[in-house]
Amino acid sequence: MRTEVLVIGSGAGGATTAAVLAEAGRHVTIVEEGPWVDPDDPTIEPFSIQEMTTKYRHHGSSAALGTPPIAYAEGRCVGGSTEVNSGLWHRLPEHLAEEWAEAYAIDGFEPATLAAYAERIEGWQSVSKVPAAPPLSSALLERGATKLGWRSTEFPRVFRYDAGHQRGVKQTMARTLVPRALAAGAQLVPDCRVTKLTTNDDRTRITGARARRTRNDGTTEDLTIEADHVFVCGGAIQTPALLQRSRIRGRGQVGKGLKLHPTIKIAARFPHPVDHGDVPMHRITEFAPNLTIGGSASRKGHVALALADAAPPRTDFDDALDDWENVAVYYAAIRSEAAGRVQAIPGLEAPLVTYRLTDGDMSRLARGLVHLGELLLAAGATELFPSVDGGTIVRRHDELTRWWDAVDRTRTNLMTVHLTSSVRMGEDARRSGADSFGRIRGFDNLYVNDASLLPDAPGVNPQAAIMTIALRNAEHFLATTP
Amino acid sequence: MLDFERQLVATLTDVDDPGLRARVAGFVEASLHAMPEHLRLGVLVQSVAFAAWTKIAPTDDLAGRLERSPIPLVRQHVRLFRSLVLFAEQELATTA
Repeated sequence: MRTEVLVIGSGAGGATTAAVLAEAGRHVTIVEEGPWVDPDDPTIEPFSIQEMTTKYRHHGSSAALGTPPIAYAEGRCVGGSTEVNSGLWHRLPEHLAEEWAEAYAIDGFEPATLAAYAERIEGWQSVSKVPAAPPLSSALLERGATKLGWRSTEFPRVFRYDAGHQRGVKQTMARTLVPRALAAGAQLVPDCRVTKLTTNDDRTRITGARARRTRNDGTTEDLTIEADHVFVCGGAIQTPALLQRSRIRGRGQVGKGLKLHPTIKIAARFPHPVDHGDVPMHRITEFAPNLTIGGSASRKGHVALALADAAPPRTDFDDALDDWENVAVYYAAIRSEAAGRVQAIPGLEAPLVTYRLTDGDMSRLARGLVHLGELLLAAGATELFPSVDGGTIVRRHDELTRWWDAVDRTRTNLMTVHLTSSVRMGEDARRSGADSFGRIRGFDNLYVNDASLLPDAPGVNPQAAIMTIALRNAEHFLATTP
Repeated sequence: MLDFERQLVATLTDVDDPGLRARVAGFVEASLHAMPEHLRLGVLVQSVAFAAWTKIAPTDDLAGRLERSPIPLVRQHVRLFRSLVLFAEQELATTA
């Protein structure tokens, strides 16, 4: 197989790259490890067990090792994590863009420049707020914030609200930019895992990739793909792992500096039913970006998991689960000062991911949990189950103080869905594996264009930042590469 | 899944319907199979160790004994299985 531009991965970064380059007339091939799953398949409901088994890598069972370990989830299908996330849209905060540009010496990273790219994507992706009143699970966040005098914000989402779709249709990459790329002539190869990038003899240029494609009947075939240019867009875990398997280290920076948003949860019981079909759009921005409070998926399975995380007495658990329609799951996520590592292991498909939270991070998580508890009680919750093994079930405000000491390294259950910064961008070669526009140091034609490039965790859903930077870098490539 | 793991899943599964119990066990087995290899290897090693332990010191309350362990790694082991079972029980019952 031969192509001008090989794009590995079809998530927020890969699909943006492929669409922009294909529409500019480049011959683009997108290789995606996961399957094509019809985004309109009615048997796969958002956040359901069917979605988990068809669209998530490892069925959602991955973890960064550390004390405590942090469970994480990644999409693995055409469209990547945009197929499974909440679709919330947060532009990269301006002050972070300024800080990162200075700290990592990133060229062309001015807030006004990024805002112009973000605005274009927002048009493509129908970024908008819910046209009617937000669901109760979201309004409860606002209600609690109002009572406490905290700032809350209703964020827009990548949702389209056509007539007859009151709930809206999430504008995932499989619905938007992948079809756009294909319409412009790009080729899509799903079920195809790139095992290694190939290089010329002096290892200054990428010549293509070796891959293994799984056919519909389950048999496999090995492919060699020749390419003039390669964009690796597999996300903050898979991208550095592929580079490492190909012995590309980015001068020691590839796989270092992984960032994520450690997230602690509460299952909150209310004296009335709460909706469970959507993820709340409100976020508490009072403490942003270092601490964000919001709502999670709350299907019955999620409610059961969140209740069990507190390891409550059996009678309390059963009583709350019987009343699950009155229970919703909320979270507090922090910007962590720790950094993790991604390390490919020879002979294994999955890389080793490690992340050790600092004492300061643990303290911030405890503060986040207490603030989240305050908010939910103010919103009318009558019973709070924290994701802390043996953590007190809180029913009154004065009981929240018990959580300060409960959040420790051995009993706290954490998760995340935001992973970034494992191949950071910038002109400072001591701190970044790629240049200001994603080109890997030491190679003429190898680029990263996904969440890996963000120099730090943004403290908000990173999809907007990933797509904004991907568009910027793709257009820079077009402008500089004949 | 190892016999010990099947036993643990059976202990943790609350529903009586044999068909649903089988689907829950199937989901747990598929999820363990889909885990990153090094994490699955760690779970396997722990399962072998706990299986040996329960041979030496039999118990009628397998899950309870593991969940009350002062060793975080032991509690995390049973938590993993409990999470998979709980999620599958609720979700598969909904879609049954």
